[in-house]
Amino acid sequence: MTLIPEYDFKKIFFEPWSTLELCIWNGQIILMGILVCWTCGIVGSFIVVRRMALMGDAISHGILPGLALAFICSGSMALGPMWIGSCVAGITCSFCIEWLRFQTPIKEDAALGLVFTSFFATGVLMLGMEAENAHIDPECILYGEIGFTPLAPDLKLGSLRLGNQALWTMGGVFLSVAIAAVVFYRQILISSFDPILARSMGTPVRQVHLGLMLSLSLATVASLEAVGVILVVAMFVFPAVTASFFFDRLSSIVFFSLPLGLAYSIGGFHLAHWFDCSLAASMVVFAGLLFIPCCFLAPNSGILWKITSLRNVGR
Amino acid sequence: MKPVRSNSSPLTGRCFPWFSIFFLLVCAFINQTLLGAQIQSPVDISLGDRALRFLQMRDYSVRIVAVGSILIGISCGMMGSFVVTRRLSLFGDTLSHAVLPGIAIGFLWVEAKDNLALLIGASMAGFLGVACVTLLKKFSKVRQDSALGLVLSGFYAIGICILTRIQKMEFGNQAGLDTYLFGQVSSLSESDLWGICISLALIVLFMTSNHRELLVSGFDLEFSKSMGLPSEAIQYAMWGLLAFCVISSLQVIGVILASALLIIPAASASLLAKRMSTYILVSALLGAIAGFVGAFLSFLGQRIPTGPLIVVVATTFFLLILFLRPSQGIIVNWLQSRRQSRQIEMENMLKAIYQVMEKQEFSEPAVRMEEVTRRRGVGKDSRAKEIESLIDSGYVSRSYEKNKFAKLPHEQFISLTPKGWENACRIVRNHRLWELYLTNEARYAADHVHEDAEKIEHVLGEETVRKIERLLSNPKKDPHGKLIPSLVDVRKGWLPEFPLNKNE
Amino acid sequence: MRNSQKPIEIHDLTVSYQKKPVLYGIDLEVEKGSLVGIIGPNGAGKSTLLKTIMNMIKPNGGYVRIFGHPPKKGISCIGYVPQRESVDWDFPVTVMDVVLMGRYGKLNWFQRIRKADRKIASECLEKVGMLHLADRQIGNLSGGQQQRVFLARALAQESQLYIMDEPFSGVDAVTEKTIVLMLKEMKKMGKTLLIVHHDLSSAKEYFDYLLLLNMRKVAYGTIQDVFSHDLLQKTYGGRLTILSEMASQTAGNREIEKEAYSTSE
Repeated sequence: MTLIPEYDFKKIFFEPWSTLELCIWNGQIILMGILVCWTCGIVGSFIVVRRMALMGDAISHGILPGLALAFICSGSMALGPMWIGSCVAGITCSFCIEWLRFQTPIKEDAALGLVFTSFFATGVLMLGMEAENAHIDPECILYGEIGFTPLAPDLKLGSLRLGNQALWTMGGVFLSVAIAAVVFYRQILISSFDPILARSMGTPVRQVHLGLMLSLSLATVASLEAVGVILVVAMFVFPAVTASFFFDRLSSIVFFSLPLGLAYSIGGFHLAHWFDCSLAASMVVFAGLLFIPCCFLAPNSGILWKITSLRNVGR
Repeated sequence: MKPVRSNSSPLTGRCFPWFSIFFLLVCAFINQTLLGAQIQSPVDISLGDRALRFLQMRDYSVRIVAVGSILIGISCGMMGSFVVTRRLSLFGDTLSHAVLPGIAIGFLWVEAKDNLALLIGASMAGFLGVACVTLLKKFSKVRQDSALGLVLSGFYAIGICILTRIQKMEFGNQAGLDTYLFGQVSSLSESDLWGICISLALIVLFMTSNHRELLVSGFDLEFSKSMGLPSEAIQYAMWGLLAFCVISSLQVIGVILASALLIIPAASASLLAKRMSTYILVSALLGAIAGFVGAFLSFLGQRIPTGPLIVVVATTFFLLILFLRPSQGIIVNWLQSRRQSRQIEMENMLKAIYQVMEKQEFSEPAVRMEEVTRRRGVGKDSRAKEIESLIDSGYVSRSYEKNKFAKLPHEQFISLTPKGWENACRIVRNHRLWELYLTNEARYAADHVHEDAEKIEHVLGEETVRKIERLLSNPKKDPHGKLIPSLVDVRKGWLPEFPLNKNE
Repeated sequence: MRNSQKPIEIHDLTVSYQKKPVLYGIDLEVEKGSLVGIIGPNGAGKSTLLKTIMNMIKPNGGYVRIFGHPPKKGISCIGYVPQRESVDWDFPVTVMDVVLMGRYGKLNWFQRIRKADRKIASECLEKVGMLHLADRQIGNLSGGQQQRVFLARALAQESQLYIMDEPFSGVDAVTEKTIVLMLKEMKKMGKTLLIVHHDLSSAKEYFDYLLLLNMRKVAYGTIQDVFSHDLLQKTYGGRLTILSEMASQTAGNREIEKEAYSTSE
């Protein structure tokens, strides 16, 4: 067995879809992946244009103690308490960063690095201690296992069985994030681009910021079991940055993250099938593979064009 | 806090490399002498025994663990001081995440957990990651924060991919590579220790030999370029060392949290140190303590990964320093502000007494306490308390006088002691001088200046007063036409039979 | 009712910024329909004055009234043109988007942008001669063009009071001319304009009123009254050292602030 298995088109692309059961099973996984990519892509677009990509990183790490606490208190991995816990931890995290930045001589980057590593470490310790007497899987939260999606119990409404609960939850999160993004698009746009003007027009800039942080926590928590806290950063950053090579309007970037999410999920799934490795990680790897040619070849802003034009100028 | 250029003699710069070579030898010596019985399975020993065992350091492996974690703390602390002052903290984080695929590939290469292979793989991946960030920033419109996020998560994902792949291969089950994610100090071996020693020695060598160049280029890059220092080369050398330092500490602290040991001790040191050399020392010391305590705790609870423990310990120290530090610490600040509030209260009360006396045209040495408290307004009780404290500190003396109506309690009179008089005069003088300064020099309207003078009077120093007096050619009256107590009045003390400025 | 009030009324305004005093006891009343230039050396507190009016910095003392309202409420009557450096020019928005932002204040929270808004926005772009670039990303414009876009946005706001922070800095001659023309036209429409300016030589032609600022108000009045050698000397001739020194000691000191008003005289 070698690192790179033989490329077998049929095995990679047909085998997962050969029987009906496999189709349903894998379809659920891919759907989950798509929903995760879409949710994170929308939130991530706003985060990236606000130059807060690393804040996203920090918060996705920083929510861990909140998750652990919520788990210890409620004893379940249900989304509700997890989200509340993570929101509390996320907001505390960003508050600590701001406080250190403005009230102490510590610089922004150091404050960021300091707070989120401390939070993360606390969370890991709490989970580690809890793991001995409960069946929470710290590995799952840290790395995620999207492959377990079809194992989730069905959502029941009375006697009606509506299908996979995890998918419904994720779908609900995606819908709420998407609706919020459409409804408050104007407010987010103006308070990101020109906060002064925004405030003069009565847009609550701070609340918009807070709302973004909350939806960031929500997106992170919801996609936690699928991709884990570290890879979720990639889901935030990759779609937005890739899209920004092609589009120069925020709304187009947000929209373009949807087809990108589709591609990541499907591409990553088959990549994982080829290499027989982690699904979530290979989705990110696929995103990276898509990013590289875009970075070089994108119209106007691609590196290749830039280098050639530089050379022309040199002549 | 900006590092201040330290005034070291040119001689020290030249002889320091010898010191670090010496240091390398010492490390070698430590390694050689770390001989002893191999550690036995410690699972079934009680907590107390384990603590004792660790602290006695009789075991060979315990010694390795202790020395290793301390050395890592030192090297990360030293490196961190540069990372933090140059605002590269998040580069450190990206770097540590980016080495994961390198570790995985290094493992794959030799199909075993060989330290050299892992180190080479990790170094290459780390450099590739940093190069990616730099290139993205330089050649594309991707901003720095996004570039860091991309590289961090992208490389990490590749690493996870390969790791999960390895676990499914035949030799994968013996990998134990997950210790690299969060660190496990007990898996530290002698060869790891060598790596740590070498990286520490290199760091010390580099820092001591380039100490001035580092200082200048960190403080002002343009200036150092203009001086012809090899800033670029130093920059790259620093990157290399940083990578080396992070990689050698991965075994103990893990990929995900490695940046914490760079940032937190250095950030704590930045709260304390004012000079770069003390900064580095404090940072290294804190790193060492955090490393040691973390390793100790991790040794106690067998299953807990070391990385998070070290980070939590380091953060605890950071918080302690943040709240208790001498110059700006929260507790010290609180005490200071209380003292200042008291002082201001007292000064305001003295002023009120002066004003009451002035209203009586200094005919009486004592004034009615009632009147003073009324003048100060709000909260009669607290005002009375303020007077008590004035009496306690010897600014004011109290006398009772029988009330005309015998049934009412005695009326209280207070008078200023010489010390009190001096202070009261000083504060009134400050107030009125400032009002005059604002109206005459800064052209403010006379009805505007009182509020400001209320604040300034408490902070106006003697020297500034002299300056203002000179500027206004020793004025006698404030803009409202009231007399300004002169220096003579201040010094003279209260003399009831010779009221203030009577001769004018 | 709003128009009967003075557009800007400042009383005894003291502002400190990161524990450094920047403005000290400023009094100012601006009449409706005046074109005011604010002039002073670097660090004289020009931008701080604007920011205080815009309610971005809380004053340590005194107050600002905008059409008789406190800044928090009055800010909605202001059209603000920020300093060009203060905006992230890589932000993915087109010229049209930026100008449309000027209309946001007129919309309700959930309202979409109407056709009429688009029409007004294109008219404003037309006025500054930028309509042909409406679909460009703002980062691809030259400095002067960016400034004109901002001006168009301010026009689209249809405010009564405009505040501009160095609109003339780093722009080409065409833009400068356009801006001056726009300013004159806006003044004719009865709008009040407050403009921070750094170039003494051109100030005389551009503005009707001048505010000379250097930590404190040195002078305020019509160009003829204020533009004198003596006053300019005072504005640019260094600070009152003792004043700035002492003010920096008290600024941001909570204990002093707290106790300051508890005595009455």
